[in-house]
Amino acid sequence: MRRRSMMALAVLSGGAGLLWAASPAQPAKAPAIPQRIVSINLCADQLVLALADRKQIAGLTKNATDREMSGEAAKARGIPLLSNSAEQILAIEPDLIVGMPASRSAALAALPKHTYPLLDLETANTPEEIYASIRETAAAVGHPGRGDALIARMQGELAGLSEPGKGRVAAYYQRRGYMTGTGTLIDELMTRVGLVNLAGKLGKPPLSQLSLEEMVAAQPDYLIVESSTDKVTDQGSEMLHHPALKDIPRISVPQAWTVCGSPAYTRAARSMVDQIVHLEGKRS
Amino acid sequence: MSRFALPRWSLIAALSALTLVAAVASLLFGAVDLSVARLVDAATGNNDKVASIILFDLRLPRTLLALAVGAMLGLAGAALQGYLRNPLAEPSVLGTSNAAALGGVAAIYFGLAEIHPIVLPLLATGGALLSLALLFILSGKAESPLTLILAGIAVGTLAVAGTSLALNLSPNPFAAMEIMTWLLGSLENRSFDHVWIALPCIAIGTVMLLWNGRALDALTLGEEAAQALGTDLRRTRLRLLIGTAIGVGGAVAVTGAIGFVGLIVPHLIRPLTDRSPSAILLPSAIGGAALLTLADLGVRIIPTTNELKLGVVTAFLGVPVFLVHLMRERRLW
Repeated sequence: MRRRSMMALAVLSGGAGLLWAASPAQPAKAPAIPQRIVSINLCADQLVLALADRKQIAGLTKNATDREMSGEAAKARGIPLLSNSAEQILAIEPDLIVGMPASRSAALAALPKHTYPLLDLETANTPEEIYASIRETAAAVGHPGRGDALIARMQGELAGLSEPGKGRVAAYYQRRGYMTGTGTLIDELMTRVGLVNLAGKLGKPPLSQLSLEEMVAAQPDYLIVESSTDKVTDQGSEMLHHPALKDIPRISVPQAWTVCGSPAYTRAARSMVDQIVHLEGKRS
Repeated sequence: MSRFALPRWSLIAALSALTLVAAVASLLFGAVDLSVARLVDAATGNNDKVASIILFDLRLPRTLLALAVGAMLGLAGAALQGYLRNPLAEPSVLGTSNAAALGGVAAIYFGLAEIHPIVLPLLATGGALLSLALLFILSGKAESPLTLILAGIAVGTLAVAGTSLALNLSPNPFAAMEIMTWLLGSLENRSFDHVWIALPCIAIGTVMLLWNGRALDALTLGEEAAQALGTDLRRTRLRLLIGTAIGVGGAVAVTGAIGFVGLIVPHLIRPLTDRSPSAILLPSAIGGAALLTLADLGVRIIPTTNELKLGVVTAFLGVPVFLVHLMRERRLW
């Protein structure tokens, strides 16, 4: 069962090979309902928190409780946070390790004699890929019904969204002038709400650096920024507050919703739609 | 008299011309190619929004800062070398720049800079002042010029360590990149907000350091002779300390610590003058402005995937010339 969904995922994400096949030792079989789940990736944290019972979870990554980074941070409080060290994993004796992928973890490579059941997730850049990860995680943690319900809820939320972007050009502009390109979750979100990614228009790679001058010359209709950069905290975020950018309307989205392909995808899409409707109202 | 010495006015005129060329080039070149005609249009107020934002909001503040900060560093180097009668004295070798950077880092990363815009230059100046005071105490009675340099290295190292530690302690996941900017300096993405922070400090510092010219000349005869000539050594020292601290503090608060300018420029200027400390002050300021503006032009023109740091270019630009002079001059400094 797990193998089949892995394959479906590999096909969806453009034919990437089966990652768990490359793991050094043959992984042990997970029990039907694992009781000591460890997540070793921030994105896996969110899926495990959304789908497993709290008492099933034995450890998450150290950023799991960071509200800036994880959409499920509130739920993670109180669960042990691991620093990705082999010792901690050894002590927990997990019966399921979830990662992205888990089989390439340096901590696990240090424990070649221990074969834990692994779940390798792939980076999800589209809702379909997010659904696949949800389905896979739900099955692995023993609650496939919850996965289906979550997917149905997300599909419902997305179906109700309008596309207020009207083909306007937007740039996802990060600290120090990094710009997110095509083939990413951000790009997918822009397309969903009816915006055109400036990076695609300029033929830039998935992550490129665009100077303020180049951004001013490109004059996008919107800048999409991470909400954590709304306040100047250092030189990297100060750049996004340069007076040269003051005339470009801004859409601000918490990084926690977009850094991973996670159930928070629908929240990000909803927030972007609302902000665009508001800003378009101001334009006319 | 050196055999290369130029009449004072022609040296200043030549340096000013070079600085002007550098400043104009700095307005003409950038990440986006804009034709001269378009820039002139924007400057004369035609309705070209993109060109006018690029020219007035991005290139102009950057150019002004390069000129002002370069002038301050060149002048501070010349004044410190003259007062301490030590050819290696300058703000970054003596740790002043790094101490100012520590003050700036503390202001920004612990949220103090949000209280009022003046907090940033104030803390940077405070850092610079503290380091200079520490330096003078550490090397106060010593005869050897080496003691001063060693004390400077100690103070500078402490400040660099403090900067890194402050950034590591702050809840900033991007600390490594920020540390690099503060320690190597950058004029990238500066705005007029930064100009208004730096310019008043640099103006005060410049006036106080230029004021010292005659006292520095008298000091070449030794402290006692200078006092006999009517120099008030205490006041001279105070002006030097405060002028350097305020000027360098204000500069570093917005650009980070830019090395080498204060060291190289006076050495390049000195052979062209009569070698008296006062004759070097003003030309060093103008020369510093030209050097830093050219270096910043280099940052923009040299194609790199990652942002090139200003300190890297000033080093590559200045050190070879500096070495040639060093070989030629040997004992003459």
